[in-house]
Amino acid sequence: MVFTPTVPTDKDLHATAARRSWLRKTVDVIAYPYRASSGVARGMLVAGTVMVGFMVVLAIFAPLLAPAGFNEVETAELGAFPKHAPPSSEHWFGTNVQRFDVLSRVIWGARTELQVVLLSLSLTVVTGVLLGLVAGYVGGWLDRLLVLVMDALFAFPYLLLAIVVAFLLADKLPQGLGGGIAVAAVAITVVYIPQYFRVVRNSTISAKQATYVEAARAIGAPPFVVVMRYLFSNVIQSVPVIATLNGADAILTLAGLGFLGYGLQPTEASEWGYDLQRAVDDATAGIWWTGLFPGLAIVWLVVGLTLVGEGLNETLNPTLRVRRLIPVQLTSVGTTAQEPAVAGRSSGRGGEDA
Amino acid sequence: MRPDNSRLVRGLALGIVPLLAFAACGSDGDSETGETGSEQQVPLIFGTTEQFSEIDPAASYDWPGSMLQINIAQTVLEVPPGGNQPEPEIAESCEFEDPKTYTCKLKTGLKFSDGSTLDSADVKFSMDRMIGIKHPEGPWSIWASSLESVEAPDPQTVIYHLKYADATWPMRLTYPGASIVPEGEYSATEIRKPSEGAIGSGPYKLTKFDPDQEIVLERNEYYKGDKEPIHDTVIIKPYPGSETGLKTAIEEGEIHVAHRTLNSTLIQDLEENGASKGVEVLQGEGTGISYVVFNQTKGPFVEKAVRQAFAYLIDREKIAQDVYNGTVEPLYTMVPSAFEGQYNAFQEVYGEKPDPAKAEQVLRDAGVSTPVKIQLWHDSGDHYGVESADMYQEIERQLESSGLFDVELKSAAWDRYSADYPTGAYQAFQLGWYPDFPDADNYLSPFFETNNFMEKGQGYSDKQMDQLLAEERSTVELEDRLPIFEQIQKKAAEDVPTLPIWEQKMVVAQRKGVKGVERTIDAANQIRLWLIDATQAQ
Amino acid sequence: MAGRSGSLREYLLVRLLLLVPNVFVLLTLVFVLLRVAPGDPISAALGGQLPASELARRRAEAGYDRPLLVQYVEYLGQVLSGDLGTTVTDSRAVTDILVVNGAATLTLTVAAVLVALLIGVPLGLLGARFRNTWLDVVIRLFGVLTYAAPVFFVGIVAIVVFTGMLGWLPASHQASPIMQYSVESRTHFFLIDALLAGNTRAFVDGLRHLVLPAMTLGLLVSGVLIRLIRVNVAQTLRDDYVEAALARGISGRRVVLSHAFRNALVPFVTVLGLQIALLLGGAILTETTFSWPGLGQQLVQYINARDYIAVQGIMTIFALVVAVMSLLIDVVNALIDPRVRY
Repeated sequence: MVFTPTVPTDKDLHATAARRSWLRKTVDVIAYPYRASSGVARGMLVAGTVMVGFMVVLAIFAPLLAPAGFNEVETAELGAFPKHAPPSSEHWFGTNVQRFDVLSRVIWGARTELQVVLLSLSLTVVTGVLLGLVAGYVGGWLDRLLVLVMDALFAFPYLLLAIVVAFLLADKLPQGLGGGIAVAAVAITVVYIPQYFRVVRNSTISAKQATYVEAARAIGAPPFVVVMRYLFSNVIQSVPVIATLNGADAILTLAGLGFLGYGLQPTEASEWGYDLQRAVDDATAGIWWTGLFPGLAIVWLVVGLTLVGEGLNETLNPTLRVRRLIPVQLTSVGTTAQEPAVAGRSSGRGGEDA
Repeated sequence: MRPDNSRLVRGLALGIVPLLAFAACGSDGDSETGETGSEQQVPLIFGTTEQFSEIDPAASYDWPGSMLQINIAQTVLEVPPGGNQPEPEIAESCEFEDPKTYTCKLKTGLKFSDGSTLDSADVKFSMDRMIGIKHPEGPWSIWASSLESVEAPDPQTVIYHLKYADATWPMRLTYPGASIVPEGEYSATEIRKPSEGAIGSGPYKLTKFDPDQEIVLERNEYYKGDKEPIHDTVIIKPYPGSETGLKTAIEEGEIHVAHRTLNSTLIQDLEENGASKGVEVLQGEGTGISYVVFNQTKGPFVEKAVRQAFAYLIDREKIAQDVYNGTVEPLYTMVPSAFEGQYNAFQEVYGEKPDPAKAEQVLRDAGVSTPVKIQLWHDSGDHYGVESADMYQEIERQLESSGLFDVELKSAAWDRYSADYPTGAYQAFQLGWYPDFPDADNYLSPFFETNNFMEKGQGYSDKQMDQLLAEERSTVELEDRLPIFEQIQKKAAEDVPTLPIWEQKMVVAQRKGVKGVERTIDAANQIRLWLIDATQAQ
Repeated sequence: MAGRSGSLREYLLVRLLLLVPNVFVLLTLVFVLLRVAPGDPISAALGGQLPASELARRRAEAGYDRPLLVQYVEYLGQVLSGDLGTTVTDSRAVTDILVVNGAATLTLTVAAVLVALLIGVPLGLLGARFRNTWLDVVIRLFGVLTYAAPVFFVGIVAIVVFTGMLGWLPASHQASPIMQYSVESRTHFFLIDALLAGNTRAFVDGLRHLVLPAMTLGLLVSGVLIRLIRVNVAQTLRDDYVEAALARGISGRRVVLSHAFRNALVPFVTVLGLQIALLLGGAILTETTFSWPGLGQQLVQYINARDYIAVQGIMTIFALVVAVMSLLIDVVNALIDPRVRY
């Protein structure tokens, strides 16, 4: 018999969880996937985190890192910027048609992208989770109605919805009130709500029906608290994965909006998609640097987020976990035979083979 | 147990080979525009990013509408290629019997593209229906203000009775929107839909109208006149919203001639590198201008000194070079150089180069505290082109570098912009202008007259100016009008109701070997397809 | 056996009936979205050009001053009877737009799906077969990269390389102007029309124009396909019956192709249907980049012109397509997998 556990057993399983500080708990929760993963999944997780982390650093420290503002055409050190200058020691990424420094546009753009995505994701998650909870818990006609609406929205093209929302809101929200960023964020929010809704609703429903909830209720524990706890551990596995993949999508949608001209104005903030729109003309004129660098920045950030998402997925989602090839023997069970595990057995049914 | 990769490789190879073959098929160096497969003459192919939508002259106030009418229809008078005075077209001769009566004698034997006769009844009908329908996107206002009535006493005579003496009347009749349509065929109350087909008397007739794919013109066998089209067939190929597409099309040789719109980056690249791809760029006098309007009803620009300071600080040369790569020329009065009567008053009063010292002085003398906080509006690019934002950012920099102004730039998409500015909501805003008819008055009255098209957006009202304008409009001889034009422009430079910035050159890109395009580059700013010869195009 | 086919019929019936509320929800969504806009469609499109009295007259004529509920019911009725309205800015029937431009979008998406399958399926299978080897990692990375690169970025690069530098392929429209002109448009599918006219030169020209846009969009979708196929096939490969087959001596390749693949089809088909969203969104961007005269390009233009009726009409078309495709996917799923029943 071979017993191959897939969670690290070196930890003391009976540690008094309640006595650990909430900070320690949060760190543990975040660190868990990193510790638990292995092989390709860990590689993806780590690589992705590094890539995203790099962008986050750029975003936070933009004022210090960028050689110029995102709409500056001259600085004290560099003087007046030329138009369409190719990459050089003064302008590492060259300058564009509006005489902005491309490197600065890329760095500041990281800030814009992350701002919009964070804003919209938080709105989405909150709305989706709340609606999912309500639908799952209350049930009845409200649940049916919400499911119908969400299913219809789920298959709708993201970009289309975002374009129309951006187009409609652009006239309503006055500029200069952070208008552009808010518009873009809201446009992206709406399209991703169904995903969280679905996950949370399904978990809530199965939580409601779980036998130990009934048991807890029988003992007198408030059902809501039990449901929440059960929910939390279930949802915590899927929401981060969805959130990172949605983040990746949101960046692409934002860039798409900017490319079509429905995103932010260039004077409000630097946005990679808008720069790519201007770069189309440059491309046919042989000016490659105005489009290549913003484009690569988008790819970098999206790949990073996707790697994190996929890595998380493989780690947290048991159906895809790879069995280790070398079995681990527990000393308490006295077997003498060691058989190498055969690659190709699925543990996807939820249990483990003895 | 290695999977057999050979099938995969074979599959991929099978896929790629035909792909390469197709790619090679077309890139054998031949021009894409040649050889339809038979021995016919090659059609002329004209590319543009403009959107065509109407075939009825009563609804044609924009460039594409005018272009269509110029080629498929005729007006009573027209401005010949390279000229700037009206000459008879349908008419044999025209004259002012008295300052309020303009009589034209028509040619005989004129026919429409369906074979029916063209006479004075059609001329009267066309004008009456235009003003009667009053289509919101039509040019009816060009004639409605001065026309009392039209009379057609006999088939060869047309008499225009005017409300007041209007020396510009002959010029107004040259506008393509005044094209003549057949009385029995076109409705007197409804705009003709594209599906109903167009009937005109011009050198070409419209045979296919698909504004997204192609518009096809063919030689009108019933045309009687001096124009001799070289090509039997013309294809107008639209590239809506894609200036880059238009540029690559002319580089690839898919089209022969390209005009409107190529932005300054693309034009510069074509000028520098186009020769190696077989493309030439022609430039000539343009008639489009860009200017700033100041709101004199409320806001900081009510004070004349502020407007004058603005005029002292603007660096037109820098805008023309940096933002537009030299595709525009600095303009020192509202009237562009293509027209008789231009007088560079702004250059005289404010100098060619910016003068911050004088700007500061004029503000100090008026007791205005600096920096003056202003809001400057511009179109977000969907109407006046991507360079709008760049230009106004440059203007912002020019104003702020003197320390005298604190500028807040604002922009809006065209439909909101065009609805908001006449309400007086903007302190100062960008506008552009193309002429309705080729006369200097069309660059003066619309901007300086009391109660002009800008409504509450500008609020400039000056009795003396109105008098001068009325005078030049009612003076028939050009030499007599010139001194009045000068006075008007000088006064405009003093009062600064608007600030001219640049005039645009007419830019046309063509394949090497195409002939005749240079003849259509003139003050009319139009493409006369019958003049173009692409039979030797490369 | 009789019982099984009975439940299949039931399933299809129920699923078909579900189409109604599905479409209903989407149409309501479109209607609400467009009414959230300030003003009404007429003012939005012609606001700056018409005097207020004229605007009011046109508004009344078109019925925009009636209560929203009345307009809503009328909208639903119009859609069901096939009338999607007439555009405000250029008086075109929306159904005309659907026919003429829809054909172009269909051509592009079908070609893109073919490209995606050609690239995605073999790579996905390879990745599943060689799971967690370096080959698999490379393939997965490729899948991620193709999805992460924005489709307009890839398009621009493609134009620069293949049109600008190499001059092999054209960068805009469905065909060169002369070919477009010489082919009569009967079905509005340029390639088919060229074949019908027997014009092989035009046909080849049309294919050449299709290459870059189809490859760009197809590449985007292939990335997702690779990951999907890989995961589903890998999962299936570990099922017991696969081990059994291997133990019986059936070759690995046959196992992958005949057993695992077919069973992986079920979730794959489902998710392929969900990629419609991706395809349509990607089509909008691709058409804009390549001036491809499809529905996406029309949508962008009408949005710029603030033509709400046109935008509403095109969005309705998209919504209906999405609903119908979901239906088809579910039906196909039901046919493949006997376990899918109500």
